[in-house]
Amino acid sequence: MAADSTEPVLPKATPLKSSPLDKFPAAVREAHARFVATGDADSLDTVVLAVLRDHQPRHTRRTPPVAPPDSARLMGDLGFDSLALAEIVFFIEDLYLVSITTGELVKVTTVGELRAFVRAKVAAAGPARVPSSP
Amino acid sequence: MPRSALITGLGFITSIGNDAASVSANLRAGRHGLVTYPLYDNPNLAVKVAAPVRGFAVDSPSWRDWTWPERYDLPRETLRSLAPHGVYAFCAVEQALADAGLTKADLGDGDTGLFCASAGSAFLLHHHLSQAHAAHFERGNPMGVVSSIAGTLNFNLAAHYQITGAVTGFVSACASSSHAIGYAIDEIRLGRQNRMIVVGAEELNAETLLPFGPMRALSVNPDPATASRPFDTARDGFVGTGGAVVLIIEEASLARRRGATAYAEFIGWGQASDGHNIATSHPDGAGLRNAMLRALRDAAVTPAQVDYVNAHATSTPIGDRAEAHALRAVFSEVGAHPVVSSTKGLTGHGLSMAGAMEAGFCALAIREGWMPGNTHLVNPDYSCDTLNLPRTTLSVAPSLVLNNSSGFGGSNVCHVLRRV
Repeated sequence: MAADSTEPVLPKATPLKSSPLDKFPAAVREAHARFVATGDADSLDTVVLAVLRDHQPRHTRRTPPVAPPDSARLMGDLGFDSLALAEIVFFIEDLYLVSITTGELVKVTTVGELRAFVRAKVAAAGPARVPSSP
Repeated sequence: MPRSALITGLGFITSIGNDAASVSANLRAGRHGLVTYPLYDNPNLAVKVAAPVRGFAVDSPSWRDWTWPERYDLPRETLRSLAPHGVYAFCAVEQALADAGLTKADLGDGDTGLFCASAGSAFLLHHHLSQAHAAHFERGNPMGVVSSIAGTLNFNLAAHYQITGAVTGFVSACASSSHAIGYAIDEIRLGRQNRMIVVGAEELNAETLLPFGPMRALSVNPDPATASRPFDTARDGFVGTGGAVVLIIEEASLARRRGATAYAEFIGWGQASDGHNIATSHPDGAGLRNAMLRALRDAAVTPAQVDYVNAHATSTPIGDRAEAHALRAVFSEVGAHPVVSSTKGLTGHGLSMAGAMEAGFCALAIREGWMPGNTHLVNPDYSCDTLNLPRTTLSVAPSLVLNNSSGFGGSNVCHVLRRV
């Protein structure tokens, strides 16, 4: 006699490589697509801020979401620890096919610095290195 | 007055239910959690049956894909460093804390410890290492280590619950969470801690389970109704399961002060190694026999006082027979005949989790007044001829219970539980 009638979810095959933004809101995915198509830096900012919020600890996250000011300190004000910042870097590396060193990472301490850093990094990498579809 | 260790909270995420009430109902009714469950897309694989947890989807390497029952509030910052079985563990801890009448705020006083047991996540470790290899180890997921190595449960849960007492993990394969319980009992008895959270958890996926196939340890019986049948002559290996089980163990005076209701009291434990073989049990069950005798001595009770033994028996040909010999040596040879059953016939074998899961079952049985039977047992192995192996649940309240576990390398652990 089986324990209950609830059918278990059968394991799926390991998913194929998908976009890191798959689970993000449509507006974020659209901003990414816009940046890829046009190089629009404001769209890139939208993505970076969404990635930042996605990794932000719950106790510092505001609902509804409010974009943190450029002066907000990632560790002091937004509650990130060094590992969470490393995760953001890993995410952005995956998304924009860039490589970010620890030396570069430790210089980024505020939201504004992060935005500027990603803009510069992605621009330096060149459009050919940005994936064409999110 | 000596300090004693009471079980005041339980949490279950298992193949036979995700809360104490459904686990108890299924154990009593002899309803199993086994199904046809292909773990890898290869029809040539002989292993067809497993015992999955329901209500969770954690089979992707990305935490963004995972789902769990909505009632558990699992924050992103905790989720991101968990292994799939860490999600089970988190939910079971939440359940056990609520059952014990505790909150996170009660756990940071330094008098609360956390002992965990799992093999880590072979699945996630493989994923992260594959990524690292592909990148020639130039980059990798920052959470790769803490989410996948053995110890991932204690790393994550200690940080989430801000536990400042004793925190560690135990790795003795299928005896792991029983070791965790044993040493948790000692922490309380020795006055080092007043409260211990013990967690046993494992994943059920190809990477965790199928490597046991080449050892010839897994059942290849395709029928979920008979694939796990401990002590039966037709047993051919174990059936895998995953999940998490959590016990809250508290010093008796603290539990009384809080007005907590105890399931049972741990009054002793013992361990002994076979010193025999890396994987198979000593043919006479020598280590397990000694572990039981040491546990009885620690508890200052005799074999004749024991009402029920929850056997480790996983449905493997060698292991079940070794345990039967050990049980005969401890009980039959002195004229004692406690009820013996292996609940793995219903749940499958939870590896590191097994000892905690079955200690939880013993606690339920003691508080609710029943003893589980051997549901799938038809023809007992010859070695069981003097053992009392009922097929169905007995509505008889046990006063004194043993819980056996055995792991690779011949590690054996036995707990003694008493009704309070």
